[in-house]
Amino acid sequence: MPESIDIQLKKGALDLCVLALLSRGDSYAYEIASRLSEAIGMGEGTIYPLMRRMQADGLVETYLVESSAGPSRKYYRLTSAGHASFVAQKEAWRSFAGAMQSILGEP
Amino acid sequence: MTRQDFITRLRQGLVGLPAQAQSDIVADYETHFTEGAAAGRSEADVAAALGDPDRLARELRAEAGLKRWESQRNPEAAAAAVFAVLGLGAIDILVLLPILITVVSVLCAFGIVALVGFVGGAVVLAAGPFAHGPGGIGAALLTGLAMMAGGVSLASVVTLISTGLVNALVWYGRLHYRLLKPAIDPQPTGELAAP
Repeated sequence: MPESIDIQLKKGALDLCVLALLSRGDSYAYEIASRLSEAIGMGEGTIYPLMRRMQADGLVETYLVESSAGPSRKYYRLTSAGHASFVAQKEAWRSFAGAMQSILGEP
Repeated sequence: MTRQDFITRLRQGLVGLPAQAQSDIVADYETHFTEGAAAGRSEADVAAALGDPDRLARELRAEAGLKRWESQRNPEAAAAAVFAVLGLGAIDILVLLPILITVVSVLCAFGIVALVGFVGGAVVLAAGPFAHGPGGIGAALLTGLAMMAGGVSLASVVTLISTGLVNALVWYGRLHYRLLKPAIDPQPTGELAAP
């Protein structure tokens, strides 16, 4: 079953989305998942395997924050490798998006 | 599906993974339900958004098996990887199975031939000089050595082909992820991040 170009684009951009969110501030999985499912319609369950892989790759690290109500939250923050990856991927995205725009003939 | 159903099925599906990984994964999804409830969503709503727990567990287990094969190339890990792919239960894997069994049988046959050649060569090498065959001691020694060398090279070819076969199967298995896929696809721009 061929996937729509829409889904393929989202899959490719998911990593960059998470890196971008975390570059603005540390966050926890539920918040990342709901922001992304709202913004690009990503399935919520996808976030946990993704965060585990990014942690295994050394792009993010976790710390626990005690919460006054409910259980303590596991926060994610970018490592320096994560920052470097974000800068590189953002740059790659910008040049690709620019090239696409000139091919598509948009102003 | 209630939160309890989801977690129970996820937990059942994860049996076989390292205990630490199991409890980490379950804790992540437990927290997700708690956060969802705090945001005023129903358990059924959160469960639906997360996807099928059985499928999720199968893919997580398969990925663990495939990772193990990539880090340690031994027959045990290869068997685990093959079972992990079969565990994904895609219909075309069942179609593939008879072909796979044929190829594996042929490889086994070649492996046995290699072993027999090696052992036979060793026997010829050791016993040949005392057998007074045609060509004398020199011919017997050379024949023995040639048979052993043939056995070793056949065995290494069989090993190479088997490794390639398992790698192909691993690639094929990953095509069948539905829930995990975006999370484990290699980053296309990952190389850029390397300094």
